[in-house]
This record gives sequence, C-alpha cells and structure tokens, in this order.
Amino acid sequence: MRQVAAGEIGGLETLYDRYHAMAYALALRITTETGLAEDVVQDSFLGVWRNADRYAEAKGSVRGWLLAIVRHRAIDAMRRQRAGVALGEEVDEVLPTALTLPDIWPEVAGRLDAEQVRHALTVLPPAQREVIELAYFEGLTQREIADRTHAPLGTVKSRMRLGLVALREQIVGRGAGPDGMTMLPAKSKKGQA
Amino acid sequence: MGMTCDRVRELASGFVLGALDASEMIAVSDHLDSCSKPHPELEDFGGVLPYLAESLDPVEPPAWLRESVIAAAKADLTSRHRVGMPLALPAVAAAAPTALDQVTAPAAGVVSIHTARSSRRRRALTWATRIAAAAAVVVLAGYALVLQGDLDKAKKVQADNAKLNYMWAQPDTLKAVLTASDGSGASGMAALRPTGSIIVNLYGLAPTKGDEVYMVWLTPDNATPIKVGSLTVDDLGNGTLVVDNVPTSSSLWLFVCREPNGKVTRPTGPTVLSGTFSL
Repeated sequence: MRQVAAGEIGGLETLYDRYHAMAYALALRITTETGLAEDVVQDSFLGVWRNADRYAEAKGSVRGWLLAIVRHRAIDAMRRQRAGVALGEEVDEVLPTALTLPDIWPEVAGRLDAEQVRHALTVLPPAQREVIELAYFEGLTQREIADRTHAPLGTVKSRMRLGLVALREQIVGRGAGPDGMTMLPAKSKKGQA
Repeated sequence: MGMTCDRVRELASGFVLGALDASEMIAVSDHLDSCSKPHPELEDFGGVLPYLAESLDPVEPPAWLRESVIAAAKADLTSRHRVGMPLALPAVAAAAPTALDQVTAPAAGVVSIHTARSSRRRRALTWATRIAAAAAVVVLAGYALVLQGDLDKAKKVQADNAKLNYMWAQPDTLKAVLTASDGSGASGMAALRPTGSIIVNLYGLAPTKGDEVYMVWLTPDNATPIKVGSLTVDDLGNGTLVVDNVPTSSSLWLFVCREPNGKVTRPTGPTVLSGTFSL
C-alpha cells in the first residue's frame, strides 16, 4: 500500500493480482451483472489508487478496506442503475478510509477458508442469515427488509443482532487456535485496535 | 437527537451493516463522534462483515480488466503530474467523513449522513460567508469538473484501448484495421473474438448532430449487412462499441456509416470507415 500511495504502478499491480478475484466475486454477487461488476472492480481499484494515503495499516487489513470499497461501490452502482444514473456520474467520492471496524482477528482469517465461512453462515437460523445477507449483499435497510420479508420491523432488528452475534461466535470459534483459545482483539473505543 | 450509549448499543448491528434509516445512521454517527465512552459492540459486529465476502468463491474477471485498471491508473498518474497535483491526493475536508462513517455505513448511508451533515453545517453559516463560500466553491468546482472531465475521458479512452489491445493480442481474434475512404483522417480498429464479442474503437470522426449516430455493420461474404450497433463520439471524435453475441464468420467485412438515427435497419448513410477481418 505504501507503493500505491507513492504512485507506483507496481504496487497497484500487486494489489490487483492478490485481490481481484475476491473483489470481482463480491461485486458480481451484489450486482449480478458481469459488465457492472467489471466497472465496480475497476472503479474500486482506482478508488484505492487515488486514496491510498487514507489507508491506515494499524487499523485493518488492505483486504478488508478494499472489500468495503467494493461493497460500497457495488451497492451504489445498483442504486444508481435503478435510478437511471450512470456509474461514472459520481457527485461525491466517498470511500471507506482507514478501517476502524476492521476485519476482526486477522489471525482468525488465516485459518478460515470460504467453505468454513459458508458453513458458519449455514448454521445460522435461515431467518437470521436472510436479514444479514439482504443487508450486506443487497444494501437493504431494516425497514426494507421488513417489507421484503413481510416480517415486523422489530423482528428484523432482533434477527440481525442475533445473527451477527451468532456469526461472530461461529467465526471466532472456527478460527480459534489449537489450544481452543479464541483470538478476540482488545476492545477499544470505536473499534480502534 | 437524544441518542444514548445504550441506544447506540441497541442499534449497533444495523449500524455496521448500514441498515438503519438515514436519520438513525446520522444520530448514531453523531453520537460516536462526540461520545468519550467505548463502544466495543461496533468492533464486535463490524469485524464480522469482511467474512461475509469471504463466503464467496473467488471469481476470475476477464483478463483485460487488469490492463484496463492499470491503464486508468497510469492515465490518472499522468493527469496528476500534468496539473501538478501530489501523487497522494489529499482528502478534501468536506468530502472526507470520519472513518467510522465510511467504513460502517453502507453506500447510501454514508452519502446520506455526509450530505445531511454538510447541509446542517451550511445552515450555520452567515449570509456573507455563504456568498463568499459559494463563489469559491463554484470556481473550484468548475475547475475540478474540467479537470475531472478531461481525466474521465482520458481514462475511458485508455480503458477502451486496453480492452481492445487485450483482445487484439489473442491469437484466435479476428482483427480489422478500419480506414477512411474519403481521406478524412478518421481511423479505427475492431477485434472479434470467436465467442462473438466484438469491440470497435473509432478515432477522429466528425461529431454527430441531433439524432445522428455512427452505425457499425458486418457483412459476411456478400450477405446482407448485419447491424452490430450504434455509437456517438466524444468531442475528440473517439468512440467505442462493445457488443456480445455477434455472429462470427470468415471473411467478415465491417463498415461504419453515418446514419440519421439509430433506428435504421439497413445502411443508408455514407460509409466513413471500413475494413476486413483477418486473423
């Protein structure tokens, strides 16, 4: 990232080579269109390129920062598309900056693969998984989810909270070290580790 | 707004997913900006989010995308050098919400908080300050738009060229160099993949007027021309057309006509560029 912040193309190439498939998978999952997903990925890497100086290594991983940007851009692209506004017609360049709510537990991440995370999701009650996925992958608000699922708003809020708690426990549990100890980070104000 | 720490804790899961109503997103964000107490619940919930993306299997994008990204970054770099901007762009205060806003809020949530705050701050300005600020903003925004407009065009051309270059370099791609028969100086390149994807880049064409378009046609061996698609060009006369599912055939001839509108079903206007595909 230092190379990227210094304007070195090689740094961006390295970043792209390392994360492009994950970024594209997320963009494609949200947009469901290859063309739009390609635009989102390009836009996201350019966002990183232009704003690399805002990234703070101590506050989270590059991967988490990039994925937050991709998600942001993809949901934004979908909303713009629904509103008939082109992706390039950006009014405001708002990017996730330093990751202050980082991907928890980078040590945990190293022990997890996609299948394990998927399993962590599948063990959630379907109703909890549904509200989390609708919020994360479709960018719906709790109120919109309530409308979509015909569930009371209070129920949606409760499912979202319980689902995130359970998912967190699943992920931490699966990422625990061989001694069974979980690897929760020290808690601090506003998530700053 | 009366947001309390307890209320923030209740709303934390919706906040990190950006799933609260805009007013709640703003209230929580404002509270966090001013609250001195720890809110570890945000870390607890927010840290889960990247793992949701991890649940997806990686998907390989088209190979040309890499070249396109790098080309656009190079164009950006060139542009920064040209206008004397620093390599690392400084964050503009008005466009740089707190990190917490940006990471935890969703796309729309981020923007809405940001916009709402901006408008609230604007209301606090005196009229004199407003006028001065507005004048400065108009000047700066205009300048920025000009620069950004040029940059966007340059990036688009670079990206289109990168896409064409990639397709052009594949051994099984049919390639055509398009030349103008009227000596206008316009030119073009087209690449047709066996999959039926075609990209046509045109350069130096005269601008179109009204409903006029440049229509791209394919003619397989004396057969009836097939309409590929239409495009207009930018103020430099450059334009790109990308179409999937074009019928592929050997000895395809491609030509570009200037047509009164995009509804024509057969070539009616003058041919401005043409070329024959070959491996």
